[in-house]
Amino acid sequence: MNPLDKPPVQLGLALLTVLVLPLVLKSGILATEILIFAMVVAACNLLLGYTGLLSFGQGIFFGIGTYAAGICLTRWSIPVPVVLGGAALLGALTATLVGWLSIRRQGVYFVMLTLAFSQLFYFVAYTFSDLTGGDNGLLGVPRPSVGGTALNTPWAYYTFVAVCFVTVFALLVMVTQSTFGRTLIAIRENEGRAAAIGFPTRLFKIEAFAISGAVTAFSGALHAMLIGVAPLSNIEYHTSELILIMTIIGGSSSLFGSVLGAGFYLLLADALSTVWPRWLLLLGLVLVTVALFLQRGLWGLVERGYDLIFRRGRSIDSETPAKEH
Amino acid sequence: MIYLFQVLNGIGLGMLYFLLAVGLSVIFGLLQFVNFAHGAFYLLGAYLTYDLTMRGFSFWLAMPLATLAVAGIAALIEVVLLHRIYKLPHTFHILVTVGLALIVQELVIIAWGPLGGSVPAPAGLQGVFIMGDFIYPQYRLFTIAFTAVLAGLLWWLLEGTRLGAIVRGGSESPANMALLGYNTLRINTAVFGFGAGLAGLAGALAAPIRGVEPFMGVEALSVAFVVVVIGGMGSYTGALVAGLLVGVVQSVMTTLWPEGARLMIYVGMALVIALMPRGLLGRA
Repeated sequence: MNPLDKPPVQLGLALLTVLVLPLVLKSGILATEILIFAMVVAACNLLLGYTGLLSFGQGIFFGIGTYAAGICLTRWSIPVPVVLGGAALLGALTATLVGWLSIRRQGVYFVMLTLAFSQLFYFVAYTFSDLTGGDNGLLGVPRPSVGGTALNTPWAYYTFVAVCFVTVFALLVMVTQSTFGRTLIAIRENEGRAAAIGFPTRLFKIEAFAISGAVTAFSGALHAMLIGVAPLSNIEYHTSELILIMTIIGGSSSLFGSVLGAGFYLLLADALSTVWPRWLLLLGLVLVTVALFLQRGLWGLVERGYDLIFRRGRSIDSETPAKEH
Repeated sequence: MIYLFQVLNGIGLGMLYFLLAVGLSVIFGLLQFVNFAHGAFYLLGAYLTYDLTMRGFSFWLAMPLATLAVAGIAALIEVVLLHRIYKLPHTFHILVTVGLALIVQELVIIAWGPLGGSVPAPAGLQGVFIMGDFIYPQYRLFTIAFTAVLAGLLWWLLEGTRLGAIVRGGSESPANMALLGYNTLRINTAVFGFGAGLAGLAGALAAPIRGVEPFMGVEALSVAFVVVVIGGMGSYTGALVAGLLVGVVQSVMTTLWPEGARLMIYVGMALVIALMPRGLLGRA
């Protein structure tokens, strides 16, 4: 095992990120957004990197969390932890349903199904505009204080999200290190064999979906509180696409790669979108480049750099492309 | 009477969905390649038709030109880029084709602006068809007839000719085809161009009906996926049945519940998957 993949190292890197972001970024909103998407992308990575399920429907759970927070906070005064917990639960339930239906097909069909489900939920949100605000989204989502601490400045909210991020990241690391997580990897590597040993592989996949959905919806709720709106765009196809892009760019072989992917994308978007409105053209080129030359993503670069500096002369195994899922 | 119109509208729409899905299906069948840029080729076909008719070309010239141009561009992309990544996991197919779709979409916005436009029905088909109480736009009738003929030709091409046999043989075993002396690289390029050309043609035919706008590719892609999921990948009949079904359901629902019409497509898909995981006619 690469020393960089050890749980304490991964957690240390996550803590470092939380501490470094305020030093290098002027905007607390951007820093918070990076942490929120880092959780979302890590949850997507649990499916892609650990279970071998390429889900094009992560935007569903993100949007569900966003709307759950938007609806609860604009209508009633429910304490924030209850809202976040409720969003996570709703996300887990939705993901169980979507996962249960989608894993009936494998490979490419699975991917197409998750994409079609993301369209389904988009049209649900679009159609039932009484509840979701339709095209306009839900405006004026408040950000109540938590346990007597006001969160009304960007950096105060950043601190709250940072605590959530570190907790969620630690939980995800624990999941991947557990017997459950090891079994997911076994399923990814050889589903037939895992089933032959006696693991109920479909149940494991659905559980992975539920965890991923819970984390994603939880982050979606935090996002609604960040921008003060529950927008329709959060449940759109593009959000699912974005989450997947960040996951692959970051590299799916380690959870911290996901943090890198989210950070890279959001910083790039922030820098380029003000300069050139058609910057997505450049993003397209980045995606092609990553597929051709950087198949292990940004995390692969980190591994290569580490090997060059600390393990000179030993075999570098980081250049083999990811295995067929 | 209104239902007759909607069913006819649905058949026209469904035939376009069929063209999209068959292109996607042929590409996947032969190349095992997931093409998320399929919607972008549809978008390009529509915009090239729009551009040519704006320049004063007749629609009858613009439609085939746009189709051939899309097929050519796609074949070029295959030669330069895509053939390098066939062997990689599907993740990277998706990454590259999503990237390509973004590039095409942004280039379309740069070239023609973000607002889109409309394409007039071609000369000779601008009026309505009247028979007693039955009144229906001529262009829509034309698309139904034209795509029906095209569907027949496609069936013949794929099932009845040597070319189709090569394509099907390649889907079964590319190595055997190479052993038999076929240049599989060239076949791959041709089939990719052909599949993308079908998407381009669907776009060209759709342009006078629904106009053009830069984001029409995304919707087309997801509908093509729904059709393939319901009909079963690699099944010509499946794509035809599912395409028509989706088109008619969407059209009829437009009368019954306008806001939910597109939602119903996806609900229908979820039901089919829950009851018949392999799709209506799927083999895989």
